[in-house]
Amino acid sequence: MTSTAEAVAFWILGPLAVLGALGLIFARKAVHAALGMALTMVTLGVFYLIEKADFLGVIQIFVYTGAVMMIFLFVIMLVGVDSSDSLLETIKGQRWWSFIFVIGLAGLLIFTLGQVTFDAKTVQAGMDRLVANNNATGNVTGIAEKIFGQYVWAFEVTSALLITAALGAMVLAHRERIVPKRTQAEWAARRVKENQDVAGLPAPGVYARHNAVDTPALLPDGRPAAKSVSRVLVARDQVARTDGYRDVERYIEREIEEGRQK
Amino acid sequence: MTLSSAAYGLLGALPATDNPSADFSDTPWWVALIKALVIFVYLLISTLLVIWFERRIIGRMQQRPGPNRNGPFGLLQTLADGAKLMLKEDITPAKADKIIYLLAPLIAGTMAFVSFAIIPFGGEVWMFGHRTPLQLTDVPVAVLLVLAVASVGVYGIILAGWSSGSTYPLLGGLRSTAQVISYEIAMGLSLVAIFLFSGSMSTSQIVAAQSSLWYILPAFFSFAVYVITMVGETNRLPFDLAEGEGELTGGFHTEYSSMRFAMFFLGEYINMFTVAALATTMFLGGWQAPPFIAAINNGMFNHGWWGILWFTIKMWIFIFGFVWLRGSLPRTRYDQFMRFGWKFLIPITLAWVVAVAFIRGAQLGFLGEGTVTVGPLGFNTSTLVIVAVVAVIALAVAWVWDGRREARLAAEQVSPPEEIDPFAGGHPVPPLPGQRLREPSVALTAGGSSGESVVSGGTVTAVKEEDHG
Amino acid sequence: MTAVAPAAFQQANIDYLAVLPLLIVFGAALVGVLVEAFVPRERRHTIQLTISVASLVLAFVAILFATKHQGLTFGYTDGATSRRLFALAIDGPALFMQGALVLMGVLGILIMAERFGGVGSDAFTASGASTPGSPIEAASARAGLITSEVFPLTLFAIGGMMLFPTVNDLIGMFIALEVLSLPLYILSGLARRRRLLSQEASLKYFLLGAFSSAFFLFGTALLYGYAGSVYFGDLSKAVSDTSLGLNGLLVAGAFLVFVGLLFKVGAVPFHAWTPDVYQGAPTPVTGFMAACTKAAAFGAILRLAYVGLDTASWQWQNAVIIVAVLTMIVGAVLSVTQTDMKRLLAYSSIAHAGFVLVGVLAFDQRGVSSVLFYVVAYGFSIIAAFGLVTLVRQDGGEATHLSQWAGLGKSHPVIAGTMAFLMLAFAGIPLTSGFVAKFAVFAAAIGTGGATGTVLVVIGAVCSAITVFVYARVIVLMFFSEPADDTVEVLVPSVGTTFAIAIGTLITFALGVVPSSLLDLADRASQFVR
Repeated sequence: MTSTAEAVAFWILGPLAVLGALGLIFARKAVHAALGMALTMVTLGVFYLIEKADFLGVIQIFVYTGAVMMIFLFVIMLVGVDSSDSLLETIKGQRWWSFIFVIGLAGLLIFTLGQVTFDAKTVQAGMDRLVANNNATGNVTGIAEKIFGQYVWAFEVTSALLITAALGAMVLAHRERIVPKRTQAEWAARRVKENQDVAGLPAPGVYARHNAVDTPALLPDGRPAAKSVSRVLVARDQVARTDGYRDVERYIEREIEEGRQK
Repeated sequence: MTLSSAAYGLLGALPATDNPSADFSDTPWWVALIKALVIFVYLLISTLLVIWFERRIIGRMQQRPGPNRNGPFGLLQTLADGAKLMLKEDITPAKADKIIYLLAPLIAGTMAFVSFAIIPFGGEVWMFGHRTPLQLTDVPVAVLLVLAVASVGVYGIILAGWSSGSTYPLLGGLRSTAQVISYEIAMGLSLVAIFLFSGSMSTSQIVAAQSSLWYILPAFFSFAVYVITMVGETNRLPFDLAEGEGELTGGFHTEYSSMRFAMFFLGEYINMFTVAALATTMFLGGWQAPPFIAAINNGMFNHGWWGILWFTIKMWIFIFGFVWLRGSLPRTRYDQFMRFGWKFLIPITLAWVVAVAFIRGAQLGFLGEGTVTVGPLGFNTSTLVIVAVVAVIALAVAWVWDGRREARLAAEQVSPPEEIDPFAGGHPVPPLPGQRLREPSVALTAGGSSGESVVSGGTVTAVKEEDHG
Repeated sequence: MTAVAPAAFQQANIDYLAVLPLLIVFGAALVGVLVEAFVPRERRHTIQLTISVASLVLAFVAILFATKHQGLTFGYTDGATSRRLFALAIDGPALFMQGALVLMGVLGILIMAERFGGVGSDAFTASGASTPGSPIEAASARAGLITSEVFPLTLFAIGGMMLFPTVNDLIGMFIALEVLSLPLYILSGLARRRRLLSQEASLKYFLLGAFSSAFFLFGTALLYGYAGSVYFGDLSKAVSDTSLGLNGLLVAGAFLVFVGLLFKVGAVPFHAWTPDVYQGAPTPVTGFMAACTKAAAFGAILRLAYVGLDTASWQWQNAVIIVAVLTMIVGAVLSVTQTDMKRLLAYSSIAHAGFVLVGVLAFDQRGVSSVLFYVVAYGFSIIAAFGLVTLVRQDGGEATHLSQWAGLGKSHPVIAGTMAFLMLAFAGIPLTSGFVAKFAVFAAAIGTGGATGTVLVVIGAVCSAITVFVYARVIVLMFFSEPADDTVEVLVPSVGTTFAIAIGTLITFALGVVPSSLLDLADRASQFVR
C-alpha cells in the first residue's frame, strides 16, 4: 500500500510534473519550454526512485538532462537566442480545428482511462516482486538480466537506430571541405597581390568614444567606414549609428579652430 | 597488506548483490539529520579553507606571500572576502530573463552539496547509542547519482549564461554545454571500469571491495582519464573555458555580482571537493587507511572515526593537484580541448572498458578455469592471456602511433638550406646559425666592375657587397 | 577462487538460421557505413551498390533456408508461468513479407543507383549539408562529391521493414517502426533537384512520423498497463483473463497503437503527409517507400490484428472500418483533381491502402493471404511506375506535371506503353496483377466479412471505378493528345534501372495471367505462429 511519505511526495511532485509539462506546451520562449521539460523529466525520475526503481530513476535524470541540454543548443543555434513563438496562422481556421480534435482526443482518453480501476492486490504483488528482486540480486543486476536475456534483441536492434541517427546527422549536417582552408598567410598574400586593404580591414570603433565592434570607424570625412563592421552585424541590422560621434568630432574641431583664431 | 590479499582484491569474485554494504538499519532519522548538518558544515569550512589554501600555495609558487593579513596566516581572508561580496550591489541586467537569472546561481550552489550525501567518510561508528556508518545514505546506483546531480548542476552555468542577455555569458554557457556533453561521456566511461571491478555502483560496496587493493592500480588508466575529466567538469584551469577571463571576461558569470556571484563561487569549490571525494572513493580506497598504516596493530587505525582523517587527507591531495595545475598550466585552446575529448579520450576509454570487461570476464572464470601458480599466487590462465593480448595491442598501437608522429614531425621539419643568399627577398637577411652566406660567383668577381648590378635569384643585388663575402 | 555466475540469469534461445536474413541485411548496412568511412570517394558508389544488392540476394537465399526454421526465437519460455517470451516470430507471413521486401528492395536500390553517366546517383544531391542553390552546392557537385550514404541508409530501412512484420512484442514493433522510419526521413531530404521541396518533405515526414510514433508508444504503454506484458501472445490471452475494470486501457491503447500503424500506410485521416512526401522525396525513394513501407506496415498491422488484438477485435474493428471507407473514398476522389504525376500516384497509393484494409478486416486466413498478395502485386507495379517517372525529363529535371506527359505515346511509345500498362494494373483491369489482387481482397471480405464486408466491397468497387477514370485520363493524355512542347525528353536508363522496371512490369503482367503460384504461396504462408 502507498505509504504516507510516498503519498506526500506524490502530491508535491505530481503537480510540479504537470506544471512542467504545461510549461513545455504553453511557454512562449523555446528555452522556457525546454526548462519545463527538464522539470517534468527530473520529477519523473524522482518518481521512479520513490517506486524503488533506482537505476531507471537515476538514468532518467542523467539522460534527460543531457537531452534537454541538446534542445538548448538547438534552440540557441537554430531558432535564435531569445526567439519566441510566432502566432501567425498559416492555414486558416487551423487552430479551431485542432482545438476541436484535441478536445475530442482528450475526451476519449479521459473517458476511457478514467474508468480504469486497478486491482490493488495485483499492483502490490508486482511491487513486492520488485522489492524482493532488489534485495536478492540488486536493482541494477535485475535490469541487466532483463536487457541481456529476455530483451536482448530489442537492445541490440536499437544500435541500428543509433547508427542511422549518426549517419543521418553526418549526411544532413556535415559539410565536407572541398577546398583547403585559407591560412592567415595566404589571406595576407592575397591582399597584397590584389592591392586591396593591404594593411588589413579597418578596425571598428571610434577611439576614445566607443570601441564596441558594432560601431563603425569614421572615415576622414566623417562617414562611417562600411568595411569596419562585421557583415553579420550588417545583415542582422545591428550596426550602431555614428552620427553622434561625428557631431562631437565636428564640435571639437570647431572649438579648436576657434581657439586658434583667438 | 600481503601480496596474497592483494591478488585476492584483484581476482575477487563479484558480490552476490550490487546493493550497498553499508548498513543503515540502526540509523534513526534524527541521526541522519545530524549527519547531513555535519556534512554541510564540513563542506563550508573546507571551502573557507581551500580558498585560502589555494591563494597561499599559488603565492608560494609565484614567489610572493599570498594573503597574510586577516587572522593568523591570513586564514580569515575568505571570511573577509565573503563579507565584502555580501555587501556589494546586486545587479540584474536590463535584458536578463529575471526568473532564470535568479534561479541559475541557486541551482549551481545547491546541487553541489547533494552529491556528498553518498560519499562514505568512514566505517561504522557508535553515534548517540546507534551503530551507523559515517555516510549520509547509499543506494545501489550511488555513483550514477553523483553524475546525474553533476549534470543537473551544470544547468546553473548554462542558464546563467543564457539568461544574462549578454554575449560573453552566452558564449560561456555554450562552451560549458559542449564541455559537459563531451567530457561527461569520458568520465562515465572511465568509471565503468570501476563498476566492472567492484561489481557494484554503490560507494560503500566499492570502498569495501578495495580493502586489499586500491583500484588506482588495476584501473590506472581509468584513474588518469578521470583526473583529466574532473578538471574539465569543475571548470578549473587548464580547462576553465566557460569563464576564461582572458577571452570572455568571466564567461557565464560576467553579469553576476554580490551574493549570486558568491553562489557560483561556492558551487565551484564544492564541486572540486565532490569530484575529489569521488576520486578518493573510487580509486584510493575511500576512507580506508593507507597500506602499512592499515596493518598496524591489526587495523586499529583502519575503522571507525579514523576514516575521516584518511579520507580528508586523500581528498586534499587531489585539491592540491587542482591548485598545482592552476599554478602551472595555461588555458587550453577551445578546439584543442574538444579535439582531445572527442578524438582521444572517448575512443581510447571505450577501448579500455572493452579490455577491462574481457579481463574481468576471464578473472571470474567465464573464459576457462585453468590456473597457473607462481609462488604463492594462483593466476587464471585466460586472464594472463588476455592481459598479454591487451598489452601487446596497446604496445603495437603506441608503436604505430609514435612512428606516424615521428614521420609527421620529420615532414614538418624543413631544414634550412645550407647556403643563403642574403638578398634573395630584396631585403638583407642575416644567416641562421650554421648557414653560410652564398659564395659570390667567380665569373662576376673576375669580370665585374665596381657599381655594376647582377641579377641573382630574381632580384637585383649590388656587386659591391661581394667584396665582403 | 571460484567462478560465480549470477544465479537467476536466463539466456535467450536464439535460432541463428531463422534470423539470418535480418542479420545479413543489418550486417551489410554496417559494412556500408564502414565503406563510407574508409573507401576513397570515387569507388564508393560501385562498392556500395554491390554490397547492397549482393546482401539482399543473399538475404533472400537465407529466407528460403529460414522457412525450415519457423517458430518463435530470441527469448525463452518462463519456467514458472510457462509464458512464451520471445522477441521474434519467424512464421509464414513474416517470411513471405521478408522475401517480398528483399526483392522489392533490390529493384528499389537498382533505380536509386541510376547515374545517367554522372559520378553519383542522379537522384541524390552531391552534398546534403549545403544550402540549396548556394555556391557550395555547385562546388561540391563539380568536385565530384556524392551521397553514397543512401545505400547503407536504405539497407537499414529494409532491415527495419523486414523486422516490422516479424516482431512478436510491442516494444520490438516500436523499435522496428523507428528503424525503418528514420532512414526514410533522411532519404526524403536528399533530392538533387528541387531541394527545398525535398527538405520540406523530409521535415514534414519527420515531424508527423515522430508524432505517430508518440501515439504508438503511448498506446504501447496503455496496453502494457492492461496486460502486464508487451508480448502479443500475452496480450491476446489477457483479453479473456483480465478484469473489466481495465478495459479503458485496452480501448485507448488499441486505438493509439493502430493510429501509429495506420499513419505508416497512409490511411485517412492520417494521410496528410503522403502527397507532400511522395512529391518532394527523390523519385526512386518515393517508389521504394510506396512499395516497401506499405508492405512492411501492413505486415505489422496483420500481426497486431490477428495475433495481438484478435480477441479484442470488437474494440477496434469499427474504427478501422471507418478508416478503410474514408481511405478509399478520399484517396480515389482526390486523385481525380491531381495534375502532378507523383501526387497522383500518392493519392492512388492512399486509395490502395484502403483496399488492402478491406482485406485486413476479413478476419480469416484468406484475408491474410489476400493482403500478402495485394502488397506484393502493388509493390512491384509502383516501383516500376516511379522508375519510369525518373526517366521523363525536361531541362534536366523530372517532368512530373501531367501536361508534360502529353503525347508521350507518340514520341516514346515503349515508355508510355509500359506506363499505361502499369496504370491499368492500378485501375484493376483484368490480365494485370491489380485485378487479381483486388479480386482477392474483395472476395475475402465478402466471404467472411458478412454485411459489413459486403458494404465495404461495394464502396471499394465504386472507388475503383473512380480511379479507373483517373488512370484512363493519363493514358488518353499520353496517346491521344498532342505534346505541349518538344523539350520533354526521355533519358536512356542504365542496365540496372531497365532491369528493375522490366522486372516490375513483368511481375505485374505475370501475376495477372498466372497468379495461382503466388496465391498458393500466400495461402500457405498465411498461418501466424503464436
